[in-house]
Amino acid sequence: MNISYNWLRELIETDLTAGELAERLTRVGLAVDTVHEFVAGGDAAKDYVLEVDVTSNRPDCLSHLGVAREVAAIEDKRLNTRAWQNSKIQTAKVSGEDAGRIENRELDLCPRYAARIVRGVKVAQSPMWMVNRLEAIGQRAINNVADITNYVLHEVGQPLHAFDLNRLTDERIIVRRATVGETITTLDEVERTLDAEMLVIADAVRPVAVAGVMGGLASGVHSDTTNVLIESAYFIPSQVRRTRRKLNLQTEAANHFERGTDPEGVPRALERAVDLIWDIAGGTPDVSAIDIYPRRSEQPAVRLRFARIGALVGLNIAAENAREILKRLSFTEREHEDGAALYVAPSWRVDIEREEDLIEEVVRHTGIDRIPSRLPLATTGGEYLPNERARRLARRTLTQAGYDEAINFSFIDPNDTREFAVLPTLESDERHDENSDDKEARHDGAVDLSNPIIENLTRMRASLLPGLLNAVRHNLNHGTRDVRLFEIGRVFASRDDVASDKAHDEREQHRPLEREALGMVAIGGNREANRFGVARPLDFYDLKGALEAVIENMKLPALEFKPKDFTHLRSGQSARISLHGKAIGSMGRLAEAIETRLKLKQSAFVAEVDFNLLLDANQITSRYRPLARFPIVARDTSIIINRQTTFAAMRNSALEIGTEICRDVRFVDVYEGANLPDGFRSLTLRAVYSSDERTLRDEEVDAAHRSLVQTLVERFDAQPRE
Amino acid sequence: MSDITVETPSIETVREAFEQEFGRFAVLSENPSGDADGSRAAEDDMRAVADLRTRHLGKKSPLATLKKQIGRVAPDERAAFAQTVQQLEADITTRIAEVETVLSEAVKQASLERDRLDVTLPGRRAAHGHLHPITLLRERIDDVFVSLGYAIEDGAEIETDFYNFEALNIPEGHPARSSQDTFYTTNGLALRSQTSTMQIHAMERRGVPLRVAASGRVFRRDTPDATHNPMFFQVECLCVDKGITMGDLKGTVEEFVRRMFGARTRTRVRASYFPFTEPSAEFDYSCFVCDGAGCRVCKQSGWIELGGSGMVHPNVLKAVNISSEEYSGFAFGFGIDRMCALMYGIDDIRLLFENDRRFLEQFS
Ligand SMILES: [Zn+2]
Repeated sequence: MNISYNWLRELIETDLTAGELAERLTRVGLAVDTVHEFVAGGDAAKDYVLEVDVTSNRPDCLSHLGVAREVAAIEDKRLNTRAWQNSKIQTAKVSGEDAGRIENRELDLCPRYAARIVRGVKVAQSPMWMVNRLEAIGQRAINNVADITNYVLHEVGQPLHAFDLNRLTDERIIVRRATVGETITTLDEVERTLDAEMLVIADAVRPVAVAGVMGGLASGVHSDTTNVLIESAYFIPSQVRRTRRKLNLQTEAANHFERGTDPEGVPRALERAVDLIWDIAGGTPDVSAIDIYPRRSEQPAVRLRFARIGALVGLNIAAENAREILKRLSFTEREHEDGAALYVAPSWRVDIEREEDLIEEVVRHTGIDRIPSRLPLATTGGEYLPNERARRLARRTLTQAGYDEAINFSFIDPNDTREFAVLPTLESDERHDENSDDKEARHDGAVDLSNPIIENLTRMRASLLPGLLNAVRHNLNHGTRDVRLFEIGRVFASRDDVASDKAHDEREQHRPLEREALGMVAIGGNREANRFGVARPLDFYDLKGALEAVIENMKLPALEFKPKDFTHLRSGQSARISLHGKAIGSMGRLAEAIETRLKLKQSAFVAEVDFNLLLDANQITSRYRPLARFPIVARDTSIIINRQTTFAAMRNSALEIGTEICRDVRFVDVYEGANLPDGFRSLTLRAVYSSDERTLRDEEVDAAHRSLVQTLVERFDAQPRE
Repeated sequence: MSDITVETPSIETVREAFEQEFGRFAVLSENPSGDADGSRAAEDDMRAVADLRTRHLGKKSPLATLKKQIGRVAPDERAAFAQTVQQLEADITTRIAEVETVLSEAVKQASLERDRLDVTLPGRRAAHGHLHPITLLRERIDDVFVSLGYAIEDGAEIETDFYNFEALNIPEGHPARSSQDTFYTTNGLALRSQTSTMQIHAMERRGVPLRVAASGRVFRRDTPDATHNPMFFQVECLCVDKGITMGDLKGTVEEFVRRMFGARTRTRVRASYFPFTEPSAEFDYSCFVCDGAGCRVCKQSGWIELGGSGMVHPNVLKAVNISSEEYSGFAFGFGIDRMCALMYGIDDIRLLFENDRRFLEQFS
């Protein structure tokens, strides 16, 4: 809302400069964002424009009059309404002659409708002073009649509409609902189809305006218009808002009406407009005004206990001061008894319903800055989210491992997500079968948006991976080749009929499942900090290592990895990840089809796990174990095995069959390549032997090791490598 | 062999022979730092000097022959001869030793030189990643709230109308509820449009009195541009107890910004409006760059807007069955993305969610 300093000073005589006014208004809640100088053409006086950010509860301040009222309260002055009192015309009651001209069939939607006719006007350019005024506040001048209605709107906050009387069939006005399918071409030259819930202003035959929103093109003021009918009305805000939204229209008039105008200000605005038209555009006003207002609007009486002010605000404001402030703001005090009073707000205030509203009036005009500051006494201690420490450790472990933290939008393009398996915890129980060898069932519990803002981003993500891969693509496009990213964020899946003990909202049962996931992606080389030589290409085990580091730092037991196919992962390079035997996610190399779609020239490795499960899992507590007292003997053996045989399987077997002195079986190396038959690899294991009671003899260890290798060879149909 | 008569050299010949061969090393002992540049040369010289020693001091050297002659010299000349020979031996020994000392120092120097490192080369370590600036800021904010006695809360990002609007005193028909401003799912749930939803959940779960703070993602239907994103981060804090006043709100906000931005940070306050607070206020804090003098960050005003605040609206308390006669509270909240952009000088907040490594690696 733009306020002209000169215009304002016609309504309130103030000695405050524009800058001082801006500061004072800001403190009482009318935030002035900027003050700038305005120099009109010709010899017009210099003006200042205050850009006021009017909060949604104060539509009464969307005019110079409204702002002037606040200034009057700040300065304890009276408004200057001379310009209006000098009016040459008087508002009369509905005359007999005009009684039939206007009919209001919808008093509930339009509690007040007033109009007046001016005959013989000459539509022309507005005088310079008015053009300047309008330009100062950023309004474009059109013609004198249109400019006057606009001028009055910005002066007193009452939207007006000017009809060409001769273009109204039978010169009649009917306030009614539209009939279904009725159409009107509005001033913006768009034909609009109306429905029965919309209020229109009609002539004897057809709608001539969408009430409170926009006038019709045909019935408006044209250059040849001579007789005008000026409308000033009060429409119910919700009615205007609903219609405006349905028609997807945004107008200055609707903006005022839908936030709430002053029903008592209707005739004053009409008078002011007619007076200006008479003055500027000539013609003669009809003797009588029409004003249909059978049921007077009432403001509620609100009780204020003066002691409550101090209790809520923390500053003792004397009852006398509070009463004085409310008086300056035009509140009517009804009953005043010990320590309390009943107040009725002026007709232009739409925001006064309860005691706290009155307290706010008192406080903002007293000055919040005058309230002494203190810290509330504490009865509880501060506390982080459970496992915040583990959360922070996980993040820092990942950055140590070379991963940058990403944050992606929560909504994504469904086309990017199709192939991606969701977390096991997002799958419904029926869909989820851990022992199934099928490729992971596709997730169909999507949560979709009904009103996305970015084209294609219509779905709440069920996986973090598509977003991370898009970020990889973005980096590659900008010349960054080695990309490692992680994100910790919510993923979503719909559920049906969620049991809820909350009765507030029937939609509780549709609440989707929200899980916090950890997603990781790696592509390119294993970079060293500040060294830019050739880097070893990242592989599956780099990603796995980073994830293992996270787990270790979160003090969780080792994760279990089991070969398993997923739709978004390349078969044979993918694993189901479990913790304590419970599936928590997946990792592997991205499926070829997705690599192709994303035009990736290198392999990308991805992982996604349910981060909530990691946070909630029991942490390991460190316990000291006595150090070995006798020497430890290690024996390495290379075994050629089928590629489908896993290290984990061999290790578990070895530990199971190994004798009491075999303490551990460890991975040393794996060799794949020449000299080996197709489909085989050579795995080197290290068995560790020791005893708590004695030093082992070589022959003893050799025998145990031979037997161990022999059993493994037999069990896994393998052969020792020489 | 001892029987073979060897022609006995004269002392002078022996000295001259030594002098002649030693000549090229003599300069070294006088000018030690001179020629020890190449390590190889120094090592060669070392070998040559060793050879020289063998040949001039060794058992088969002319000097050795001379020494054997001492016994055969006439007794009256023997002492003098012996002395001269010993003098010669001492001379040669000393001079070779001097040169050897110089040379061994040169060899050592050369070897150090050969192993010289460029200590300015970068240290060896794996490339490390970076936390997102939003995370850095959220952690800092959480730390401040915990230090002020608040419990950190977390909440759902998809909400029912009740939590997102109704309980927060945002009635049906309020513009914020329109599908113009708020995202809705196809089954009618809202993507939370402010972290204030936390207030309701926390009061339901914990009851009063309470002090909680929560930060997280919120969603509004803004088309992305340099200052808007359809998703951003907010933080909200809530304190409800008997006798809480606007003075507590002011004190808490002031303490919060001091702990966030430094002890000199000042605040100013003005009246405002939010549906879920009454009375409402907005706070500014003195610019952390210029300390209030005016700069680009604060657009020359010296002040930076913090965000909205106020006394919890009685309707909000009523929604969770708390008597506003008995209890009162305050809440304040602000946008983290905007604060983040100001703190790090980010001129286009779309960068926050592009996840460009060149952007992310600037923060730590
Ligand atoms: Zn500054």
